[in-house]
Amino acid sequence: MIRVRDVCFSFPERPVLEALSVDIGESLTTVIIGASGIGKSVLLKCITGLLRPQSGSIIIDGDEVVGAGRHKLYAIRKKIGMLFQEGALFDSMNVFENVAFPLAYHKSFSTHEIEKRVHAYLDLVGMREAMTAMPRELSGGMKRKVAVARAMILEPRYLLYDEPTSGLDPASSAIVESMMKRLQTERAITSLVVTHDIDLTRFIADRIALLEDKRIVTLEERDQAFSETSAVYDHFIEKRERIRQENAS
Amino acid sequence: MYGNFFFWLFREPFPVGQLGQQIVRVILEAFGAMMITGVVQGGLFAWLGGWDGGRFSVVNWTGSIVVYLLLSESTTLLGSMMFAARIGTAFTVEIGSMQMSGQLDALRLMAVEPSQQIVIPRVLAAIICLPILKALSDLVAIGTAIACLNWWFGVSPTIFLQHVFEVLRHPILTTSYIRCMIMAFFIAVNACGLGFSFQGGAVELGKTTTKSIVINLIVVITVDSVFGVVDQITGWSVV
Repeated sequence: MIRVRDVCFSFPERPVLEALSVDIGESLTTVIIGASGIGKSVLLKCITGLLRPQSGSIIIDGDEVVGAGRHKLYAIRKKIGMLFQEGALFDSMNVFENVAFPLAYHKSFSTHEIEKRVHAYLDLVGMREAMTAMPRELSGGMKRKVAVARAMILEPRYLLYDEPTSGLDPASSAIVESMMKRLQTERAITSLVVTHDIDLTRFIADRIALLEDKRIVTLEERDQAFSETSAVYDHFIEKRERIRQENAS
Repeated sequence: MYGNFFFWLFREPFPVGQLGQQIVRVILEAFGAMMITGVVQGGLFAWLGGWDGGRFSVVNWTGSIVVYLLLSESTTLLGSMMFAARIGTAFTVEIGSMQMSGQLDALRLMAVEPSQQIVIPRVLAAIICLPILKALSDLVAIGTAIACLNWWFGVSPTIFLQHVFEVLRHPILTTSYIRCMIMAFFIAVNACGLGFSFQGGAVELGKTTTKSIVINLIVVITVDSVFGVVDQITGWSVV
């Protein structure tokens, strides 16, 4: 379980998160939605220890992330896989090498075993055919699928997604969404997704948290979040319709 | 970055594969620039040496003087400057782009230390490759000088090479290779450090790259001068 308590994070010029608290439940997909630039990616980076909050506590399976030393932080990170916004594949490696890299680095598997595992995960995300392609030859959606395979290869307990569908066309978004859904149903992995894509949220979320005014203002079950009385509905669906109507008139 | 380099240098697992890749890459990328520099220097010194040698009727001695100047100073300094321009900037841009696209964060999240995987292989490859490239550049420069002196001033290769072997035993030639390794270390660590500290977009990356080449050229000239002075004071290289 990931427990975030009273986390405050500021860049030198502006505060981003203030007393933010949220619990990420086991085997569930929690989606954090919020407007662009509100601090969703910063929250993910704080959870993974890439950014250090000024105060607060982040506990992953009983281990404190905030203030953890290098060894402890690396031990915690082995439990986490993360999909970055653009995939963050290594340019100098092909698809196979990208997915095999964490395995070759951390495990003493034979070459045959590494190949077997990489093939299995590339099959899972439907990218086996592109195994020898370089990242520059892949579309945005394909890059993200490979990045998910790479994030999954060490079999982490937690999978974090940073804007998994941003900048993708509807067809590529649907492919990524379906893959996330399949991982969710087949592996029952604990997932945390940050996005402002309401369609993705509706498709994959078990629970939805709304990040606004530097903190989580509501955490609701999916059905509840999409009811007309919910803050999520008010901020993301009704507000969008309102703006469209105002601009049309 | 200097502290990081020594901290991670002796920690497991040593990135052997990455080191091999970087050695091949550095040799291939810097080869053309350094060989062209060798040709230009060989031709220039042959022309100047032959011209002035002719004026003082010592043109047959020009070979040893040209070789001494080339090997002791010229190919070391200009070669290192070319190396800084070609490889130093490549390191900065590459690591800066990795920073920009989240690849360094991706490494950290895989519990892989970027300093160990990215910096150590590049710095060691630079230290190994610059002396090798200098040796090749020396051969090219000497070959060019032999050809030019023969063509322009009629100095036969046999006469050119007559006193060269005495020059090649001179200790300053050995220390010039040590100087190259020290310069390669500074060039690579500075370039990697600037790439790591980079933040921002394309404009900032351009500025960081310019900073990398300027800093490294100053470092190369400084190290060369300091080494030259120390050489003279301590008498390491004086016959």
